[in-house]
Amino acid sequence: MIENLLSSDFLKIKRKGFWLLAFLGPFGVVALQMVNYGVRKDYLLQQSNDDWGYYLGNVQSFTPLALVLGIAILTSFMASIENETNAWKQLIALPVTKMGVYLSKFTVLACLLLFSSILLMVFTLAFGLVLDLGSVVPYLDIVQYSFYPFLASLPILALQLWVSTVSQNQGIPITVGILGFILTYSAFFLPDWVIWKWPSLMNDANEPVQNVLLGVGVGCLLYVVGMIDFTRRDVK
Amino acid sequence: MEYIVETRNVSKKFGKEIAVKNLEMKIAKGEIYGFLGPNGAGKTTTIRMLLGLMKPTSGTIQLFNQDLAQNRIEILKKVGSLVENPSYYPHLTAYENLEALRKILGVPKKRIDEVLEIVRLSDVANKKVKGFSLGMKQRLGIAGSLLHNPELLILDEPTNGLDPSGIIEIRELIKTLPSQYGMTVLISSHLLSEIDQMATTVGIVTKGKLIFQDSIETLRRYANQSISFTVSESKKAWQILISSGFQAELQQKRILIQDCSDSNVAEAVGVLVQAGLAVYRVEEEKKSLEEIFLQMTKEENAG
Repeated sequence: MIENLLSSDFLKIKRKGFWLLAFLGPFGVVALQMVNYGVRKDYLLQQSNDDWGYYLGNVQSFTPLALVLGIAILTSFMASIENETNAWKQLIALPVTKMGVYLSKFTVLACLLLFSSILLMVFTLAFGLVLDLGSVVPYLDIVQYSFYPFLASLPILALQLWVSTVSQNQGIPITVGILGFILTYSAFFLPDWVIWKWPSLMNDANEPVQNVLLGVGVGCLLYVVGMIDFTRRDVK
Repeated sequence: MEYIVETRNVSKKFGKEIAVKNLEMKIAKGEIYGFLGPNGAGKTTTIRMLLGLMKPTSGTIQLFNQDLAQNRIEILKKVGSLVENPSYYPHLTAYENLEALRKILGVPKKRIDEVLEIVRLSDVANKKVKGFSLGMKQRLGIAGSLLHNPELLILDEPTNGLDPSGIIEIRELIKTLPSQYGMTVLISSHLLSEIDQMATTVGIVTKGKLIFQDSIETLRRYANQSISFTVSESKKAWQILISSGFQAELQQKRILIQDCSDSNVAEAVGVLVQAGLAVYRVEEEKKSLEEIFLQMTKEENAG
């Protein structure tokens, strides 16, 4: 049943700009570095002995912002497809479980973000090679910097999906999204337990994997809570 | 009798407000059940409960002799529905809209062309639904509800927003469904004339209570008939009829007689003619179903 729902949901996001947005996120993040290195490459190369590491750090400083903003926009779009003509009532009157419906929406969003992460990895590597940052390419670091923020932001995705599917007023999820964006922007000053800090991969222990594990764990938890709440509610 | 839909003591509360109260709805196989009531009477709430979109506060709902709360998925495989305003995805074409439903229902692709043909939207199959008129969207909704050849079709106000020719088309379509495809149809409306022309059984709901549930013939029998006479001197005529032992009623310039048997009417005409009065018109008057409906809902409000 879930494959059918998924294939139906992928059809519904056609012509809505989801894939374009999923492309623009990682492209924008790397494009900022293109500008940065284009303007002052010599200065930036002087800053550190580890040119690749310094470059990845620069890329990573914008990834969480793009990710959090992307999640807010994508989830809100996703809910608006069903909210626009109140298609929830049509969808849920079909022989499907509400859990299946929710899982399918979450999976589509996770796929889009995963697609973005893959693009981020490709773009980061490609521009790094163009910059000629040294012969030893830190492939493992590139993979980590591309996928860790995504995994660490799963709780934000689960929360935003929950808020946007149960809100009649789409202003609420957008407000949550903007607040999240501001929190992510000030990640450096936040305590470790705030979920919006996690995509930055910063923590007191200086251990990025900790954020990934927390992200997956808390993400699952928030997902289950949101799904149960969604199942419990009457469809208007 | 085999009931497709059977609700027992179903109530639904929203906070303190009671939307539906102790509903006992029974729909037999092959019927077109007209579900009638003024706006806000609880029709849509009832339909949402039948589709499992809302859970009743108390009572049980059985469809196809299975409990809805336990076998929702199995039951919904056999139910097609259109609830209130049509739902659609405006950025997709008519074909893609149905494809999105078809993928979930798992019926063959050729069904899409078939149902588009039934509601006569084949020509615009590849146009975006955004630009459709309300009537076309409504027809697309009906097409979607027919996709999996359901045994029970639930249509909530399906003729809303349709033009007269569209209404006739949909009405003719609905009438053929039970005989051609063995479907049972539940159709709700606030217009009695609509139901009158399609339904075999009628349920009337007002303020959340089912106040009438029987065949359409029974409802029609409520329409008391009377014979109205228009004569030259109505007051005099009335007095003559009364003194001759008729139960007559003077209404403005007309005289009404309740007993409509042929002999009674003939006798009354005879009496009037013999008295030298000119009889202009002798007409049969039927209370319209509309009036009965209003009367029933009013009585309920007063009580």
